[in-house]
Amino acid sequence: MTRSVSENVVAPMARGTEQRDTYLKGLIQTVKGGVPADLALPELRSRAEALLKEQTFPHTRQEDWRFTDLSPMLDIAFACADGPQGDTTDIEARRLPETAGAQVVVVNGQVSPELSQLGGLPQGAIVGSLRDLQNHPIWSEKLVQRLGQASGHHDVFTALNTVGFQDAVVVWLPPSGVMETPLQILYGAEAADTPVLAQPRCLVVAETSSALTLIEDYWGHASTAYFTNAVTEIWLEANAQITHSRLQREGSGTFHMAKTVVTQARDSQYIGTAVDFGARLSRHNWEIYQTGEQTTTKLYGLGAITASQRADTHSLVALSHPYGTVDQVHKAIVDDKAHSVFNGRMVVAQAAQETNASQLNRNLLLSDKARIDTKPQLEIVADNVKCAHGATVSQLQADEIFYLQSRGISAPQAQRLLIYAFAMEMLETIPVATLRSRLTKILAQWTGA
Amino acid sequence: MSTSVQSLVTQPYKYGFKTDIEADAIPRGLSEDVVRMISAKKNEPEFMLEFRLKAYRKWLTMAEPTWPNVNYPPIDYQNIVYYSAPKAKDKKLGSLDEVDPTLLDTFEKLGIPLSEQKRLANVAVDAIFDSVSVATTYKEKLAESGVIFCSISEALQEHPDLVEKYLGTVVPIGDNYFAALNSAVFSDGSFVYIPKDTQCPMDLSTYFRINNGESGQFERTLIVAESGSSVTYLEGCTAPMYDSNQLHAAIVELVALDDAAINYSTVQNWFAGDENGKGGIYNFVTKRGLCAGKNSKISWTQVETGSAITWKYPSCVLVGDNSVGEFYSVALTNNLQQADTGTKMVHVGKNTKSTIISKGISAAKSKNSYRGLVKMGPKAAGARNYSQCDSMLIGDTSSANTFPYIQVQNSTAQVEHEASTSKIGEDQLFYFAQRGISPEDAVSMIISGFCRDVFNKLPMEFAAEADKLLALKLENTVG
Repeated sequence: MTRSVSENVVAPMARGTEQRDTYLKGLIQTVKGGVPADLALPELRSRAEALLKEQTFPHTRQEDWRFTDLSPMLDIAFACADGPQGDTTDIEARRLPETAGAQVVVVNGQVSPELSQLGGLPQGAIVGSLRDLQNHPIWSEKLVQRLGQASGHHDVFTALNTVGFQDAVVVWLPPSGVMETPLQILYGAEAADTPVLAQPRCLVVAETSSALTLIEDYWGHASTAYFTNAVTEIWLEANAQITHSRLQREGSGTFHMAKTVVTQARDSQYIGTAVDFGARLSRHNWEIYQTGEQTTTKLYGLGAITASQRADTHSLVALSHPYGTVDQVHKAIVDDKAHSVFNGRMVVAQAAQETNASQLNRNLLLSDKARIDTKPQLEIVADNVKCAHGATVSQLQADEIFYLQSRGISAPQAQRLLIYAFAMEMLETIPVATLRSRLTKILAQWTGA
Repeated sequence: MSTSVQSLVTQPYKYGFKTDIEADAIPRGLSEDVVRMISAKKNEPEFMLEFRLKAYRKWLTMAEPTWPNVNYPPIDYQNIVYYSAPKAKDKKLGSLDEVDPTLLDTFEKLGIPLSEQKRLANVAVDAIFDSVSVATTYKEKLAESGVIFCSISEALQEHPDLVEKYLGTVVPIGDNYFAALNSAVFSDGSFVYIPKDTQCPMDLSTYFRINNGESGQFERTLIVAESGSSVTYLEGCTAPMYDSNQLHAAIVELVALDDAAINYSTVQNWFAGDENGKGGIYNFVTKRGLCAGKNSKISWTQVETGSAITWKYPSCVLVGDNSVGEFYSVALTNNLQQADTGTKMVHVGKNTKSTIISKGISAAKSKNSYRGLVKMGPKAAGARNYSQCDSMLIGDTSSANTFPYIQVQNSTAQVEHEASTSKIGEDQLFYFAQRGISPEDAVSMIISGFCRDVFNKLPMEFAAEADKLLALKLENTVG
């Protein structure tokens, strides 16, 4: 599945508005060149392109990108990545026993039917590539009303994905469809000799009273430049339930831009856990929009970064209906010269009475060269609500280390133990046992415990 | 909470009267000539004119900030009178007796008697009317202990070296749009100098009054506390009611050297506009304190109840090791008022500490935002911050927002931030009613309890006044 690779259109010049505009134009041309003929989607893509043309490549003078500098990307001309080829051992190692028969493998943004293993789906459920669904009745009836339609679709990287995604994973649960087996989507990044970009896309629609456990796993080994621009759209209809685990373990040369947008209808429940271990620079925009009352939303985030990694999470919970419940905890461990950014925005509109929302952001700063920027942001108009947020930045507590030392545990060991415990609180929210234990191992290695 | 009760009239603004006094004002508009004219009128030393012109030229290159969470029509900077003073007699005023009695009456009406017999016993007052200082009480008594307390114009004549040394060191002329404007055209303000190892014998206070309907007020306050000294400073503000909006762009600079302490309290009650949002003051103020010395301390306490729009972030730059910054704030917005206020705590030195307590109350259709920054620099080892911002919403058309920025670059620094939102619940009012307390009293008690952490930090007289002020402002908003 080799696709045409567009030419590098970026010319070196001063880092100004002009350079950013040219760079973005170059990216648009590159991703447009990679669009397969059988997935033209002219209406959707041209709208996204029009939105993109009004924007520039993000820079730190914009409030949303104030702490995350993307200018290193400006030096790199990315070409579209090729589809799956070569080594599959990596993939085998990442399959979970719990998800047997419910695994979709995406390599460089394209679904690989050969590597995916699907069987035992509930009646009426659809899991697979968007390209196989064009003649399916849901295409015209429902799919076009969902794909690329969620709020926030105008963001630069989201629109860029819409302009040029080469394939998409579609997960569709019929009313009352309950998927007993957790669904695992593996997104692999296969490095090439030259810098490449891949744009994985996923659309999940859970119709009334359906339920799903979803695992999204992004990984790669690329120590050379690689650009992942992922978008996942999740729609929960009335009374639907989704438990979502999102792991990002990309290679050390990767720029990982991601958007997870969740739209919740009345009485639905979304529990999400996002773990960021990898990438040179990662940015996760996690957005929750409410379209009905009495929704439940739980967001758990963990970032553990070191060396000169950058990890940025921007979450948005927009409440516009009564009786919503939100519980959010985001934790970051930052070592060496790494830089962690968190912006947690909660908007409670006037109609969202009786909302109960809490947000906690905790950060562990382990080195003097590391840096944390955090902004828990509340915007409230409704008066009958309970909203609280908190943020802390600190190192490990001396008395806690002393307590462990007094029980015969060495200081370095005590330190590792405390970091491990700090992070485990987030990992424990992952419902799949094997995955949890694998991540625990990674964490243990990370802390050296 | 019934809306019918909410819509009942609120307490009228009792400081809304206007004093008819002949004013010596310059024509509207701003240009280099105007800047020169202001400087000439005040007979300023050469360095001051340079300072102003530099600021003016800088201002021309800057753009008005758009990031605050407030909305207002564009300000026409050429339609403002930049200097307005009550017409003075030819000779310099020797004593209070020579001050125009209308002015003394005005201040008496505002509760600030200036005359010898009636003046407040333990507070020295600098009264500022439009662009100039009218009178400063207890100057001689303060001079006995070496404390300089006078208007900044006077300081420029009598202590130019001190002013030159410190002016613009905390808030540079190009700090922000409104600071640049102020640096170019500021007309008067207070100057305080506390010498080494001196505890200021009485509280100092400045009372600001805008009278002219077309003028803006651009005052500048500079307080310098030498090592080992301490001072408590209070600031109060009112303005008459006009249909048009007036601009108030002030700068306050505090400098605390080794072991010095400055306590700065503000009760801001500028005219807030009527219930339809007509008129009112645009209060765009830059306040910043520099803890330059070791073990120094700067504490800001503010009660913000007036102004159509408030844009104000009293800040502390903690440079000296072990220095302490504090910020206690109550911001109340009603009707169509908008407030975007908070603080910045910039930790530079070792073991620096800061505390932020912010209470926001928004009623009717107002907008109240807390915007704060806590920054721990790479060398701020052992620095600590604790922030708490609580919001209270009265009615479901007001909004409360928090935008706390936390930036940490030192692993031994510790930052804690907490925020909550609540309302005055019907169950709470019912609980009070059970005990025979009327809804009005209950509300004022709940609010007073909500703000207690901050009021406790105010000097005694101010605390009582602030409590009353809030109760008045909110009268009949809840039922």
